[in-house]
Amino acid sequence: MSAATTTVAVRPQARPARDFVRGTWYIGRREIRLVLRTPAALLPGLFIPVFFFFVQAGSLTRVAQASGFVGNYKAFILPVSILFAVSNGGAGLNMVQDIESGYFDKLVLTPTNRLALLLGAMGADFARVLVQGLFTAFVAYLVGVHWSTGALGLIAMVALASLWGLAYSAMGFGIALKTGSAQATQSAFVLFFPFVFLTTSFAPKEALSGWLATAATYNPMTYLLSGMRTLGLEGWHLRPILGALLAIGLVASITITAALMALRGRVK
Amino acid sequence: MNAIEVEGLVKTFPGEVEAVAGIDLAVSGDEIFGFLGPNGAGKTTTIRILTTLLRSTRGKARVNGLDVEQRAAEVRQIVGVALQEAGMDALSTGREMLVLQARLHGMSGSEPQRRAAGLLEKVGLSDAGDRRVGTYSGGMKRRLDLAHALVHGPQVLFLDEPTTGLDPASRQSIWDEVRRLNRDEGIAVFLTTQYMEEADQLCDRLAIIDHGRIVAMGTPDELKASIGADVVTVAIRPEEAQAARTALEGLDGLIDLRMDGAGLTLFVNDGSETVADVIRLLDEATVGVGAVSVSRPTLDEVFLRATGSRLEGAGDTSAARGEAAS
Repeated sequence: MSAATTTVAVRPQARPARDFVRGTWYIGRREIRLVLRTPAALLPGLFIPVFFFFVQAGSLTRVAQASGFVGNYKAFILPVSILFAVSNGGAGLNMVQDIESGYFDKLVLTPTNRLALLLGAMGADFARVLVQGLFTAFVAYLVGVHWSTGALGLIAMVALASLWGLAYSAMGFGIALKTGSAQATQSAFVLFFPFVFLTTSFAPKEALSGWLATAATYNPMTYLLSGMRTLGLEGWHLRPILGALLAIGLVASITITAALMALRGRVK
Repeated sequence: MNAIEVEGLVKTFPGEVEAVAGIDLAVSGDEIFGFLGPNGAGKTTTIRILTTLLRSTRGKARVNGLDVEQRAAEVRQIVGVALQEAGMDALSTGREMLVLQARLHGMSGSEPQRRAAGLLEKVGLSDAGDRRVGTYSGGMKRRLDLAHALVHGPQVLFLDEPTTGLDPASRQSIWDEVRRLNRDEGIAVFLTTQYMEEADQLCDRLAIIDHGRIVAMGTPDELKASIGADVVTVAIRPEEAQAARTALEGLDGLIDLRMDGAGLTLFVNDGSETVADVIRLLDEATVGVGAVSVSRPTLDEVFLRATGSRLEGAGDTSAARGEAAS
């Protein structure tokens, strides 16, 4: 080690809003870089939803059509596949690694806004699930799934799903920040199952009965699926789309609040 | 103005675990100050409080006059921190890590790149700067960690056991850089260590901390002089310790006597005059005497005198050598 260096003057934080945006952007960029450097970690998010789509469509299309509930079962089941793609079970795991290694402390020791540490990571995660959702939709398009609102509707559907993915990922980030444990963070994925199975994933609401119909009524995923399916099977109907946004907003308000509280607890 | 001022600092963790039990100290802006103590003594907890990573339970701490809890954001702008775990992002390159850190400290344009290049050169990592950090050796990670702590030109540098696990060459390299930063760039340094040798050679002043309390503080020479004595060490069998203690109680010139796993340590006024009496008294008490040595006090003896036990691995670099391959 040698050579003298100049001491850098400390900058006053005169523009906190600008610094917050910059911090979020740079943290997000770093997160995306980490994802791109572990491409194998992307494979489950790309492969499993497509696999699910083909298995479901292959095994249930004729049954669904024979029952008369659904005419275009592939378009009916596609939103569920996309939700598999965007409900990211790995959200927060990079943050856990940073916490365990001590790197998170390095980020906390910068003057950047604490919220940027969370939002940057969540933003990168949003970009990731958006790509995974678009990939699933693209594969469905290639195998000839008919879509009533065209390419724009497909993109809108994936965007809705990705917003859900963002809300869902906040749960993983919250657990990561609260516990600093990879095992606990991965367990957030378990909560995906009641969301996706106690609802209209495989059959329309009219076909459900008893406790499952009741559970579906209170499950926000029901309204999300309704909005997404409207785009695929019916058209640009505002009411179910707003219902989907409302359901996402409800879940997001809980998960993001919990994540912010966990962040505050960790960096206090 | 002092670089660091601490008054009555206490940190209690859940379960009534008192990691820091009331610390007072002041570090001037031009010194290298060491915190010497064993694992669990409260060194890292103190650093985490001083660097805003942890809130204290009671007491006050200021860095360059800024209260670390009331003005945490400002404190973070003037402190550089290298924690015990080198906190690395294994998938990024060294350069990428430094550039990100510079940007999060508010630098823009090409400045982060320039700053990163300068720091990589300074810590001898120019050639490895574009390699992923996961491929770095332990010593390289420590040097990158030091560069990280310097990205924003801090006024006060906190180093938590900066050389633990390093080979002698890497340790010397870190020492040289710490001295240079203090001497040439006027950066006050607060470091923790378990190594007596490091505390002795590197620190202008040091505090010995044990069970969350400072038990001795001063320059290394002051601390050694405070014993005011020579040190006579006598190897004996543990089962004869009580008999030896009884035999030596009336020894002329005896200031203090401590027992540990290695045998007896006697603090005496004049070692060369006393050693013959020590051997005679032990012989009369039929205590088997092994190796006997007389020496001037070291920090190890200061630590023993202050805490009643030796610092495990104190000044012993073999442990560091063993870990150096990581």
